[in-house]
Amino acid sequence: MQRNRLEWVVRRSAALAGCAAIGAIQGQPVDFTRDVRPILAERCFPCHGPDAALRQAGMRLDRRESATGRTLSGRVPIVPGDPDSSELVRRVGTADESVRMPPLSSNRAALNPRQVDLLRQWIREGAAYEGHWAFSPPRKSAPPPVSDPSWVRSRIDPFVLGRLDAEGLAPSPEAGAAVWLRRMTLDLHGLPPSWPETVAFGRDAAHRGQRAFEEAVDRALASPRYGERMAMDWMDVARYADTHGYNNDSERSMWRWRDWVIDAFNSNLPYDRFITAQLAGDLLPDPTLDQRIATGFNRNHGINSEGGIIDEEYRVEYVADRVRTVGIAWLGITLECARCHDHRYDPISQRDYYRLFAFFNNQPEHGEAGRVANAAPFIAAPTPSQALRLRALQETVHRLEIEERHALAAWRPGTGDLEALRAPRHPSLPDLSVGCDDGAVPGVSGPACTPTELGGAELGELRSGGDFTLSLWLRADRPQSDAPLFSAIDYDPDQASAVHGAGVQLRLVGDEIELRLSHRFPSYSITVQSQGAGIGPNQWHHAAARYASLPDQTTPRARASSVRLFVDGREVATQVLNDDLQSAASFREPYRIGLENGRQAKRFSGRIDELGVWRTALPERDLREVFESVALPWALQRARSPRERGWLFRALSSESLAGAARRRLFALRRELPTTMVMRELAVPRQTRVLLRGRYDAPGDPVGPGVPEALLGAWPKGQPKTRLGLARWLTRPDHPTTARVVVNRLWQQFFGSGLVRTSEDFGTRGEAPSHPALLDWLAAEFVESGWDVKRLLRQIVLSATYRQASERRPEMRGRDPDSRLLARGPIVRLPAEMIRDQALAVAGLLGSQVGGPSVRPHQPEGLYEGIVVGEAFPGTTWDQGAGEDLYRRSLYTFWKRTLPHPLMTVFDAPAREVCTARRQVTNTPLQALALMNAPVFTEAAREIAGQVLEGASRARARTDALFRLVLAREPLPEETAVMLDTLARLMRSYRWDRAAAGEVAGDAARGPWSLNEWATYTALASLVLNLDEAITKR
Amino acid sequence: MTGLRTPVGPSRRNLLVRSAYGLGAAGLHWLAACDSSGLPEETQPPGKAARVIFLFQSGGPSHVDLFDPKPVLARRAGEEIPESVFKGQRVTGMVAHQKSYQAMPSTYAFKPRGQCGMELSELLPFTGEVADELCLLRAVHTDAINHDPAITFFQTGSQLPGRPSLGAWVHYGLGSANQDLPAFVVLHSVASEGPAGQGLLARLWGAGFLPSRHQGVPLRPRGDPVLYLSDPPGISRDRRRIFLDGLSSLNRLASSRSGDPEIEARIDQYELAYRMQASVPGLMDVSGEPDWVYDLYGEAARIPGTYAANCLLARRLAERNVRFVQLYHRGWDHHQELPRRLPVSARDTDQPSAALLRDLKQRGMLEDTLVVWAGEFGRTPYAQGEMRLDDYGRDHHGRCFSIWMAGAGLKAGVTHGTTDEFGFNASSGSVAVHDVQATILHLLGLDHERLVYEYQGRHFRLTDTAGRVVREVLS
Repeated sequence: MQRNRLEWVVRRSAALAGCAAIGAIQGQPVDFTRDVRPILAERCFPCHGPDAALRQAGMRLDRRESATGRTLSGRVPIVPGDPDSSELVRRVGTADESVRMPPLSSNRAALNPRQVDLLRQWIREGAAYEGHWAFSPPRKSAPPPVSDPSWVRSRIDPFVLGRLDAEGLAPSPEAGAAVWLRRMTLDLHGLPPSWPETVAFGRDAAHRGQRAFEEAVDRALASPRYGERMAMDWMDVARYADTHGYNNDSERSMWRWRDWVIDAFNSNLPYDRFITAQLAGDLLPDPTLDQRIATGFNRNHGINSEGGIIDEEYRVEYVADRVRTVGIAWLGITLECARCHDHRYDPISQRDYYRLFAFFNNQPEHGEAGRVANAAPFIAAPTPSQALRLRALQETVHRLEIEERHALAAWRPGTGDLEALRAPRHPSLPDLSVGCDDGAVPGVSGPACTPTELGGAELGELRSGGDFTLSLWLRADRPQSDAPLFSAIDYDPDQASAVHGAGVQLRLVGDEIELRLSHRFPSYSITVQSQGAGIGPNQWHHAAARYASLPDQTTPRARASSVRLFVDGREVATQVLNDDLQSAASFREPYRIGLENGRQAKRFSGRIDELGVWRTALPERDLREVFESVALPWALQRARSPRERGWLFRALSSESLAGAARRRLFALRRELPTTMVMRELAVPRQTRVLLRGRYDAPGDPVGPGVPEALLGAWPKGQPKTRLGLARWLTRPDHPTTARVVVNRLWQQFFGSGLVRTSEDFGTRGEAPSHPALLDWLAAEFVESGWDVKRLLRQIVLSATYRQASERRPEMRGRDPDSRLLARGPIVRLPAEMIRDQALAVAGLLGSQVGGPSVRPHQPEGLYEGIVVGEAFPGTTWDQGAGEDLYRRSLYTFWKRTLPHPLMTVFDAPAREVCTARRQVTNTPLQALALMNAPVFTEAAREIAGQVLEGASRARARTDALFRLVLAREPLPEETAVMLDTLARLMRSYRWDRAAAGEVAGDAARGPWSLNEWATYTALASLVLNLDEAITKR
Repeated sequence: MTGLRTPVGPSRRNLLVRSAYGLGAAGLHWLAACDSSGLPEETQPPGKAARVIFLFQSGGPSHVDLFDPKPVLARRAGEEIPESVFKGQRVTGMVAHQKSYQAMPSTYAFKPRGQCGMELSELLPFTGEVADELCLLRAVHTDAINHDPAITFFQTGSQLPGRPSLGAWVHYGLGSANQDLPAFVVLHSVASEGPAGQGLLARLWGAGFLPSRHQGVPLRPRGDPVLYLSDPPGISRDRRRIFLDGLSSLNRLASSRSGDPEIEARIDQYELAYRMQASVPGLMDVSGEPDWVYDLYGEAARIPGTYAANCLLARRLAERNVRFVQLYHRGWDHHQELPRRLPVSARDTDQPSAALLRDLKQRGMLEDTLVVWAGEFGRTPYAQGEMRLDDYGRDHHGRCFSIWMAGAGLKAGVTHGTTDEFGFNASSGSVAVHDVQATILHLLGLDHERLVYEYQGRHFRLTDTAGRVVREVLS
């Protein structure tokens, strides 16, 4: 034990030396940003920094003028040029704990001697302050002169070599062509190259050199696999999941947003537009469907549907989540600190925070929402193929309706027709019928009702499933923007109540009707509005709504697709505003005609007649009878206005072609996927500073805005909306956006960014290892029109990226993590790639791009004792079939509170919050998963089949295993191990046919013995388990 | 060693603090790398507790029916809780529309138990028998009033997702004391009242922003106890050995070529996995437990996945020096039908929890094992919905509730903290959730203010900016 600890101390110092390698270069002046500010920020700023509330002794060290001035005690913290007279040096350097800074009570450790020396040197050299590097715009500087210009392949390389020269280090030799191809393909596709690709590329590279490399990159960038791979990393940042999170964690539908991301990368959407679409696609002029789908970025946060939570508390959380995510994703500043108080290290005030908050605080959303489906606002988001079918159907409907109008115009009713129209109808008898036949105002059939509360109108329980039909005639006195027609709903005056707005209601909204079925309005309701119903005032119209539960539902939730609306006897187009109702709604008494209760109760101005409610979903035929029983006598008496003529005409015809086409169109619209989006409230919500960050402690009002002094001015003429914010973020001279983006892309290739803290470019973040390179990349990226593919092409073709990755002994103490980039990257593959690679080399991987998330194999019983009951969709894992079992992991259903174990075992975050980089760990659970998870054992069997088929000699077969999985030939000593293991396994299975059969399973085929199947399956698994297989080198 | 108070010294705990303070993110990264290649683990932490068994009662057990007798509720049954007591405190949306909040007496009798005379409900007869071992905290309080934030707060120190769990912090702070088993194990129980209950979340045993190897490992009652533990059919133990020999040889060749220490670490992880394949089935195989054990824990302990079986398993894990066992029962959310449902969950948990204490005690392990019994909050002293003696419910209540702890480093047979006559507010000895967490860490020899991790430029700790060790209950 004692010996171990000693060893440990030694290692620790080695690591310190390693860290120093990226810090000060020996013998050169101290750099404030790189060497000094991190120390001050970490140890001093908490009490002597930007946060005025916590500032001690009125002294601040984050500004030179105050740090070099006299403090309250009369001492001067920093005397430039004279460290010995500087109080700062005395206080941090002393061994006397009673005066030492930081004080013991702060729990911040004393400075080590090296840090004290750095401060001394800095003060001796004049104590120059610099603004924080990340807060001034990136500038392209001339590449430094380098020792070996022939090494340079791209404009990235001089920056890297220049730094190595300064350290007296040489870069590593170039990696072999096959190594580079595997590295590049894993980076750009998330999949390994096939062996034939590797062989062909090796030949091509030998003949054509650079040209071959360039073409290989171009091929990779043109494949749809590229967009999938790029989307993979973005899912963590954007905290994408297929469930809402929190303890109900039920299913949501956001895969249309995920597919938009894949498409955006594949079509190389310029990154500034990638930002703008996600932040403010809905605010662009005439936004396209894609641009609206993109705004789902800001709806990917968790949504809590736990009964009884306080709405505002969680609504505020969602807005804060957007601020945090935008902060990490693009600003590179951890804004969260400023939510409760002024930022301790970075000059972001609490007010700044809430001004950013104000941009995202203006959504028609609720804290408690998302119980069984998407939370409003959402839109129908047809896939491209659905969009095509929609357009075709719309055109057909349009054409047939014109034809129908012509036919109507030409129609002259004959005597027989009139007789038929006069024949009595036999409508089904309603369970509740109100005609107000003793009323004083004339109706469509006898007297009509004026707004009234119905006494004792017992309807009784609706049948299970909640089916019903509601029908009435209405005549509005004047245009009305929103008025109740029939209310069986209780708008309890307490809006926080869990049963506020429970019931059923039909409303008139402008020219449209709206049906509400609700447990709690609006969050837990189905709200469906007609589109183009054209219900004008001063005319009698018939309106009907029908709810018919679907027979084939797998989850118990009610669905908006069960609702149909009819106006004047014809089904009308609808749009769904809310669709998050766990079970059927019931009619709440008292029933009201033209009235409703509640704080915002409205009243219908006009007449209503012939109200009927059925406790069943009437077939359309019956519904037509109901309409015609009133409409035809009425129309026959009228002067045959076009509208009434239409009623008569249609009553005589069987269903027209137009009607059939409309039916198909509506059916298609009902099955469209939806996706959550951002939508601004018409009347903006006033944002206030929240004291201590608490939702119930509002302070001063603030308007939307950005920390302009810190991060650059608001672009002229831009609105103070999310769109303006996007324009500001994508200003060519914005100090952080492009840096943060190129840094995260760099991280994707090298394992860590030039700034390792890729989520934090603030003063507490790590300084860049190659500041001039970061700036050059950022500026170049912006100049290129934010061209991602171009940037990535530059990276993978650079000499820096093309280096071999072997660790050089002389670098071990010097730069173990390769921050100086003296070798190629070594990175354990992310969870998704480990699974995808196994499927790919086994020939199992499905190739479909996009679509709803799928459920491949997951251990049974994983949710047992953990998730909520089955009343919530997304709480059971109904394993898919066919290709769904083998799709890329990007498409695996992501249950936020309990993601697939093959993802979390290999370090994927749960995506409850935005994550900009994953930790990489090395655990026994990973070993177990790779050895035993069915997806890997199945892949091993498939690979065994390939090598058995491909060659007949053992040696050739073990070679093939290496080629398939590792994209290289084995070394002789490796072949020796493989053959030895093969022999041992063969011996072991020889007398155990039963065991061999179990390993081979159903895959066994062809002329090979079970023994061979079992042995090669085990060997294939062995190769899949190699460190090299799951590591990019 | 005096633990974290010493600013320098070659202990793992000091390193944790120092790495975060002294080396910044670079230091942490290095720590992780070193750690996986065998940083010395603390087999004997300097605290009095070497391990923790946390019996979490998810849903919110009713303190006024179980631990905190309130005769005033009976005397003033049906009366409105006075505004002087209510003080405008926020309530959940489930009772926000209620016109009144009437005092709802407990229908269960309390009586003094043990030498110490701790008053406990008749629903907890077995717990009463070990009253002299308990340290009952009656004035715990939480800010949260809903399950997700409250349980997340209790188990991660923050109401919002994203932080490491208590067990992950302990694993991070102390490492493992067992070479063949995970250091942080999670056990989920099937409650008798039915499979449903409030959902639990992987974040409750997750690693948050700590390296993910600190996350808890669930042990499952059926299928593989640890996911993917079993070798596939046809791969016997000796074949797995052949496989691993080949794998290690090839990995070692790669290691010597590339000089990457991660490869050596991976070889070790495969060996650990191989050992786990033997040790976990041994752990789960309770066939050697004598009958008296089932007399002690109850017959339900014979059924895998029950709370009783999990308590027995927790003891077996403790015997194997597993650092942190997180056990869950989730049958305590009694908004309705409390008189029918509460006794069911009390029966599920009462005997096994008490048995665990007795069993640890007789094996001499209670001295260095800390056992905690707690839910995320208590329940309201007023009725939710209609007030009927035979069928009432209680809503969530965070202003005060009861939990108990027992074992290493704690006073035994004490009751700490009191609540007002309605059981609505803490009136003395109040203990915040962060205080409970600080105390647990303290008992393990970890200073909650110094067990920190730097992430996104901030020093994070389990207790955020709060927390006080409840010294009054330390022995």
